[in-house]
Amino acid sequence: MRNSMIEVMTDLLQKGLETAKRLGVSAAKLGFYHCEWTDCKFEAGRLKDMGGRETLSYNVEVLVDGRKGNTSGNRLEDFDTMIERAVTLAKVGSVAHFDAYPAPGELAIVKTHSEKTLSLSREKMIAGCQEMTDALRAYNPALFIECSASRMESESLLVTSGGVCHAAMRTHWSLGASVQRTAGTDMLFAGYGRGWCDLNEFYDPGVIAQKIITDLRRGERIVESPQGRVRVYFPPETLARMLQPLFMGTNGRNVAKGESPLLGRLNEQILAPSLTIIDDPHRDFASGACAIDDNGIPTRRQAIFEHGVLKRFLYDLDSAGLATAEPTGNNGCSPHSPMVLAGGRLSGELLAEIRDGLFVRDLMGFGQSNIINGDFSGNVALGYRIKKGEILGRVKNTMVAGNLYEILKQNVLVSSDTDHEGRYPHCVVEGVSVTAG
Amino acid sequence: MKDRLFEALKKGRADYVEIRVEMEETTHLAYRGREVESAGSSTFGGGIARACTKGGWGMLAFDSLKHLEEQVEEACRCAAFVGHDVKRSAKEKTELAEVEIVDAERPAKLKRDPRGVSLDEKLRLIQGYNDIILGADPSIESSRVTYGDSFRTVYFANTRGTYYMEERPRVYCAFHATARDGSLVQRAGDSFASAVTYDVVVGLEEKVREVAERAASLLKAPKVEGGPQTVILNHQMGGVFIHEAFGHLSEADFLYENPRMRNLMVVGREMGVKNLNVVDDGSIDRTIGSLSYDDEGTPTSKTYLIKQGVLTGHLHSLETAAKMGAKPTGNARSVGRRFSPIVRMTNTYIENGDMSVEELFAGVDNGIYACDAFGGQTEFEMFTFSAGYGYRIENGKIGELVRDVILTGNVFQTLKAIDGMANDLKICEGAGGCGKSGQAPLPVGFGSPHIRIRDVVIGGERK
Repeated sequence: MRNSMIEVMTDLLQKGLETAKRLGVSAAKLGFYHCEWTDCKFEAGRLKDMGGRETLSYNVEVLVDGRKGNTSGNRLEDFDTMIERAVTLAKVGSVAHFDAYPAPGELAIVKTHSEKTLSLSREKMIAGCQEMTDALRAYNPALFIECSASRMESESLLVTSGGVCHAAMRTHWSLGASVQRTAGTDMLFAGYGRGWCDLNEFYDPGVIAQKIITDLRRGERIVESPQGRVRVYFPPETLARMLQPLFMGTNGRNVAKGESPLLGRLNEQILAPSLTIIDDPHRDFASGACAIDDNGIPTRRQAIFEHGVLKRFLYDLDSAGLATAEPTGNNGCSPHSPMVLAGGRLSGELLAEIRDGLFVRDLMGFGQSNIINGDFSGNVALGYRIKKGEILGRVKNTMVAGNLYEILKQNVLVSSDTDHEGRYPHCVVEGVSVTAG
Repeated sequence: MKDRLFEALKKGRADYVEIRVEMEETTHLAYRGREVESAGSSTFGGGIARACTKGGWGMLAFDSLKHLEEQVEEACRCAAFVGHDVKRSAKEKTELAEVEIVDAERPAKLKRDPRGVSLDEKLRLIQGYNDIILGADPSIESSRVTYGDSFRTVYFANTRGTYYMEERPRVYCAFHATARDGSLVQRAGDSFASAVTYDVVVGLEEKVREVAERAASLLKAPKVEGGPQTVILNHQMGGVFIHEAFGHLSEADFLYENPRMRNLMVVGREMGVKNLNVVDDGSIDRTIGSLSYDDEGTPTSKTYLIKQGVLTGHLHSLETAAKMGAKPTGNARSVGRRFSPIVRMTNTYIENGDMSVEELFAGVDNGIYACDAFGGQTEFEMFTFSAGYGYRIENGKIGELVRDVILTGNVFQTLKAIDGMANDLKICEGAGGCGKSGQAPLPVGFGSPHIRIRDVVIGGERK
């Protein structure tokens, strides 16, 4: 990094560890994060905003008499004070379900930092936004167009009383656009964006603009929505959001606290056999890629659902102790980089077989309901009616509802093609309740 | 701090430059189930320098004031780069509305400062609430009770000569109960917040008990039937409705550079029923959505968005006001030190109608009473929001408890489908907040009297 602080902070955190020990803690972990960020924004089809951020933060966790205290901050001059405060907080803090932070383990080599990404200059970001703007404007000059691009480089450090001293660096870029088409009181919103740690072929303004234009074309005509129990097609972007409740169910802390509907159901057939969902933090440059979790435990590639059978819950160090299970190296008991393994047939073939159904491109308010139970109900912000395998036009004032565990247990078709990251395929499910006004 | 900011602003080479510095201290304690889940505190400081040249903006966020002059210069360089971009029109210029120059310090006026309450006392308080939840019903599986307080001090100065310091405290308590019957899990929750006193989180035992009993009752409640129905919204639900369905549409940064949206949201347009009045007011005395000055130094104000059913105004920043020929309303807000201000709501509410609550219910043979709110979302024309719980209304009477009440609609139709407003306005202050453009949660107040709306689409299965 331009102003790397790892050396200085390693020294500060190691000294902090000694301070914590002198204050009587039985275990401690200290973390540091430093980030440099550059971005640009286009508004109404022209460059409007440009800027940067340089931010740092640290966090402290201590164990005193079996209880945890946590503090965080960004003023280095307060660091020792924050350690003392964490010790004070530990007196009323949560019971720790572990005695010590683990010793260093063998880490996978995972690439998360790319020099190529650092070559993404402001000028290139602006050019990318301009290219998307021009393509979208060429399709429809009346569109209200917004675009943005960013580049980030960060460094992080973890020091624990278990002996871990791990520094990591990460780069990331993002590029995206959104449009609004307004005709009278009818509005259509469409957008798409990409991000990755390495600057590779994914950074493609032309593809992003084309994807949005496809949505605009499909939404030219407004048609009546199907109603009742309907077959629904989810493209990868929607599927990714739809699966979030499953990860609340496989969250080991939710399980240990009795809040997960999957409690006591390990090795049961929960989903359709076509669905295998894994967590793979070891794919180079992927979102969520990492070699170590924030307790110093090595991460791992692991199946969560294998052919629909629930294989494991995910645990961080404390939740594993609470559940008398083995920690799985997952911060907050959530997957780092979840993936649905691809099926056997192309998405185009799956679409072509739908006689009457709904293509849900974007859902609004999906997470608002009793989502941990799998119940969902969302407004189809952007969706199309499918008839005889063809997309007929856009539906409006339509809600989809159901229980995720119920609909994903039935016949679920999974495509062989996926999103650009290879994480989510297209998917067709049966029996989703659709209501239209 | 004042001198430090004005000194750094001297380095600004742009049409307009501002610096906002914030210091924030927070404390939080949480129970989950039988155990304390977390105990933490934080101290963060930093800020943002923003500059505008020929209508192009540059910004730089920072953690330390050590290099403030350089950060101001860099923000100005970015603004110049944008302002002189060859693809922009050469005619573009910086347009920011004029407002009164401010020189003020606004310390917090707390009735009971949460910083003066010991950690032990705060913990005992939420432990008591937690015990109530866990003991309320055999079906209660788990609980979450969270206490939090924050004390944020904002320092602002700009090249027009405005300076202010404002302290913005907040204290809140949120509690949730989880009930289980086999694989069926139901949750209920509520929260309370204040910018004035710690006492807002004290004495909530009855509210906590209600929440726990409701979670247990929801296990036995049927799902609401889908389809259009007459709905009565309570204060909180009505507040979320007007915030989501209409408030966001009034934010002028969605309108000012979009001619079609400006045309759609033109002042004078008939928006709702004749007696509908909708207000945003950041100047209400010390609610969590209130502030003396917004994050561009504009004094907050009471703005009628709809008066007698007609669109009368929008919410503005300096730029949107100038470009739409309006007066700034004091609605440029940021969620924290790293973010530029954008147009946001403060306290948004529907004014009282002329019916009693009894009259409102008496007019419904078959409908739904939607209470409290899990959340809401909008894409301008369309909105959706979910009730915490609901009841059937049969022959004007509140009947059976129902679950999964999620409402959706088109704002232009729905505001004209309101056919009754009671006279019991209440403004709600909770632990959550509003989200927009990646900035969340921003503290806002919202409220409404009980309101009745015809033909609202409810998600779910039809019978």
